[in-house]
Amino acid sequence: MLKMTHLSKVYRTEVVETYALRDFNIDVKEGEFVAVTGPSGSGKTTFLTIAGLLETFSGGEYHLDGIEVSNLNDNARSKIRNEKIGFIFQAFNLIPDLNVFDNIEVPLRYRGMKAAERKQRIMDSLERVGLASRAKHYPAELSGGQQQRVAIARALAGSPRLLLADEPTGNLDTQMARGVMELLEDIHREGATIVMVTHDPELAARAQRNVHIIDGQVVDLSEDPRFHTVHVAEEAHG
Amino acid sequence: MHIQIRPILAALRRHKAGTLLIALQIALTLAIVCNALFIIHQRLANLSAASGVDEANVFVIANMWADLDRSTEQVDAQVRADLLALRQLPAVRNATPASGYPLRGGGWDNFVTMTPEQVKPTTDAAVYTGDEHFLDTLGLKLVAGRNFRPDEVMVMGTQQAITPPTAIVSQALADRLFPDGNALGKSFYAMGTAPSTIVGIVDPLHRQGVDQWSNGYAGQALIWPLRADDERGIYYIVRAKPGQLADAMREAPKALYAQNRLRIIDPVDGIQDYATIRHKVYDRDRGMAILMSVISVVLLAITAAGIVGLTSFWVGQRRKQIGVRRALGARQRDILAYFLTENFLISATGVVLGAVLAVAFNLWTVTRFEMSHMSMAYVGIGVVALLLLGQGAVLAPALRASRVSPVEATRSV
Amino acid sequence: MRQSHGSRARRFSAPRIPSPDSRTLSMLAYYLQLGLRSLRRNPALTTLMVMAIGFGVAASMITWSVFRAVSGNPIPGKSAQLFTPQVDGWGPQQNLKGEPAEALGYVDAMALLRAHQAKRQTLLYPLRLSVIPQGSRELPLNADGYAVTADFFAMFEVPFRYGGGWSAQDDEARGSEVVISSKLNQKLFGGADSVGRTIGLGGHDFRIVGVVSHWNPRPRFYDLFSTSGFADEPDIYMVFNRALDLQMRTGGRNSCRGSISYTSWQGYLQSNCVWVTPWVELDSPADVARYHRFLENYAADQQRAGRFGWAANVRLRDVMQWLDYEHVVPPESRIALVVALGFFLICLVNTIGLLLAKFMRRAGEIGVRRALGATRREIYTQYLVEAGTVGLAGGVLGLLFTALGVSGVGILFQPEIARLARLDLSLVGLTFVVAILATVAAAFYPAWRAAHVQPAWQLKSS
Repeated sequence: MLKMTHLSKVYRTEVVETYALRDFNIDVKEGEFVAVTGPSGSGKTTFLTIAGLLETFSGGEYHLDGIEVSNLNDNARSKIRNEKIGFIFQAFNLIPDLNVFDNIEVPLRYRGMKAAERKQRIMDSLERVGLASRAKHYPAELSGGQQQRVAIARALAGSPRLLLADEPTGNLDTQMARGVMELLEDIHREGATIVMVTHDPELAARAQRNVHIIDGQVVDLSEDPRFHTVHVAEEAHG
Repeated sequence: MHIQIRPILAALRRHKAGTLLIALQIALTLAIVCNALFIIHQRLANLSAASGVDEANVFVIANMWADLDRSTEQVDAQVRADLLALRQLPAVRNATPASGYPLRGGGWDNFVTMTPEQVKPTTDAAVYTGDEHFLDTLGLKLVAGRNFRPDEVMVMGTQQAITPPTAIVSQALADRLFPDGNALGKSFYAMGTAPSTIVGIVDPLHRQGVDQWSNGYAGQALIWPLRADDERGIYYIVRAKPGQLADAMREAPKALYAQNRLRIIDPVDGIQDYATIRHKVYDRDRGMAILMSVISVVLLAITAAGIVGLTSFWVGQRRKQIGVRRALGARQRDILAYFLTENFLISATGVVLGAVLAVAFNLWTVTRFEMSHMSMAYVGIGVVALLLLGQGAVLAPALRASRVSPVEATRSV
Repeated sequence: MRQSHGSRARRFSAPRIPSPDSRTLSMLAYYLQLGLRSLRRNPALTTLMVMAIGFGVAASMITWSVFRAVSGNPIPGKSAQLFTPQVDGWGPQQNLKGEPAEALGYVDAMALLRAHQAKRQTLLYPLRLSVIPQGSRELPLNADGYAVTADFFAMFEVPFRYGGGWSAQDDEARGSEVVISSKLNQKLFGGADSVGRTIGLGGHDFRIVGVVSHWNPRPRFYDLFSTSGFADEPDIYMVFNRALDLQMRTGGRNSCRGSISYTSWQGYLQSNCVWVTPWVELDSPADVARYHRFLENYAADQQRAGRFGWAANVRLRDVMQWLDYEHVVPPESRIALVVALGFFLICLVNTIGLLLAKFMRRAGEIGVRRALGATRREIYTQYLVEAGTVGLAGGVLGLLFTALGVSGVGILFQPEIARLARLDLSLVGLTFVVAILATVAAAFYPAWRAAHVQPAWQLKSS
């Protein structure tokens, strides 16, 4: 589903070259729920923006749903974002001028869907996140957890093949965070592929698989005993 | 208070488009406003030019004859009868026949030479004709010499060109012809074979016209003692007794029609007081002054509002940065000074460019419309005005910026 | 790789995609909705932009409506065939800085007429007359008009309601035919066909042969010597020779040089005073060249005969050249237009800045939209449409101001010129088109900047 091989991302200024990602390899299979962890500045957000085709990369290959994306132009990348990817951000990134309904409608509009189908999908996805009654509310009128649910509904409305989540619970209190996490797990159970970036090991432990990034490179932790310990503990806890 | 210019310049480099737009707007505004001010000032000067006429009490009747088939003698008899009738009206102080009047908007003018052989004229004078009542009727101030005597007044028919031997001239014409100042008793030629001798000097006396071509001959006029009995028509200038203008204007046409019905005094503009005459002759100047004033005011308002808008946006964009500065110890007035200085730098660039544009625009109007050169004072005034406008406009957003709390530094954008 | 992408992309595309046209329309409607919503979000900023556009476009339209009226071609079909000959009868020391006088004296005018070197020719000068209504006790009326020759009506394509002009024979016979305006016909005869009736002008009887239906080309190209070009419609047209016989002095300008000493009508006619405007109709460049040679030969003959003490100095200007030479467009009108356009330009610069601020303030939203699949083009279009709505609102306001301004334009320009400015359909259309196009053009750069917002930078969580 998502496969990066020897991928690199360099930020160049006049004086220095900084590698955000270096010889980066990852392969996410369809239907997987992968958590990407790592310390601040390790490159996990860069990974996510490249994965979401929000940024280009400097070298290597990236196949998304079987398509090599490095040669695609901006329009084609926009189309893929629109049709195949759903984003969930830490800061929710709802458009404050638009109410819940209109926010969810945004990606469907760009897909050129007819009004009736748009409405159906919006109501379905709102139903899915349990906010059907809030369609006419504006983001500012909702709690953080509700806003993130709306963002998830927006990501789901277009039936994407891949969900990319960047610290989805980072701005939420514990209780709200738990609710959002359970929602993501439900969505995963229904068959979605999810890649979630987080620095929270507790959250990461609830994913099927963890990928750890340090200094722009993937470090395989599947063999790390500490990881298993945490993982097991988490299961026991849940 | 220590203001650092370099960080401001660095910040401006990152807002090239906005900086450029404000500077450009200030430059264009300066160019237009300077020239508009110049035009306004010029036109207002025209509007207040003195005519020499007792404008509060004088009015003019444009009298056309309906029967064109009359001899000069018949017309003259009628004119004298009309004048007698007008002067006898209780509200009327005096009346004179005339071929034109100051501020009429154009009329008779003659070239003036010092000798009959001279081909290139010395100057050009507006020509007024009237009898011995002309000076008193208009309320002209005789500053030297004497008025016409009744026996000097001649009669000129439609197909005649007559040069009377005496004339009263305006001070401006006397000065032009005889710069040494002893014009009284001297003679000149005004497109006649015979000379006219100056018997009196009045000051001031405006020409009939206010056209641009006559600016070089401003105030130069002569009065000939003539009843120009044109078979087509004549002007009667009438001076009412103080406070009785309306009565006189009402009674005068009745008195004339009582004399003879075969005349035309246009019901709309056949009788005009001087307020109307002045209003009409300067309508171009007044219109330009109004238009330029409106445009200048709206322009300054829009430019100010534009600066407020863009600066507010910048302040909004830089809240975090401002918060960081505050957290690092910048005082409120440092932040205020930062934005005022920033605006000053932009405005200064704008006014430099604007001053060049203003002069260029003026030069263009000089070559294209024969307008005069603009004094640099207008540019100076404009520059100061726009710099103040900029500082004034930026004040509100800058104050808002100065009140940004240091806590903003810790917030995410 | 690209090929494989193509075939795959098709497989993944959404099953039901409406036809492109309805999609485009639906997206435009969506952008319009977003634009209006955005305008409501920042009422102060929106008001400022709309006011700026409104003022700018209105100032331009008001001054344009005046300029258009004064600078138009008064006789579009024939302006290139009608010429006014000028012959210098004053000489290099007294002429107008080298240019011949703007009219002719009697002697030269009659010489040109009699030479008959053009397809059609006329002489004219203005008359101020009185009309004495017959058999009534009403007061006499003032009537302005022209002494003209027979060709006048055909040359200038004067439209008639009743009757027509007179013939060349009537010119020769110095007849008392007159043509009157519909307005005068209405006043005197209640609008009835008055052809054949008698009219008393200045104490003489004339026979009406034609009634002109409204004809007042503006600027009045044929008489720029005596008028500024914007006078009211003339009431009367009289046989030129008849007016001379009645010794009718010009009701317009008369300009002389040297010392004037005439004491009779004959003396006046022989003087160097100019007061007659000649016009000729010449169909081809060859005719024009031939007529120009004729003029030069005529002036040279006068020099040989000793009447002119200088070399031939003649001009032959067509209508538009004549309008230009006579500076028919008042400088005020031109300056006002230029200043108003400058004003509009500043309003647009202002709008560019404000749109830039407004659009970039929403960089976050743009990032989200880009992440959700909007292409650059879609963002670009969205913001151009938003600017278009500003332009439309500015156009409405501008139209309002224009209507106010045009009705109040009498304050700004002389009444006879102000009257010409009117708010017709073309001006309404122009106001909207200019407002919208200008605003959209002003939005090109801000919208371009918006479309190039980097989505990733806006969305990173810090």
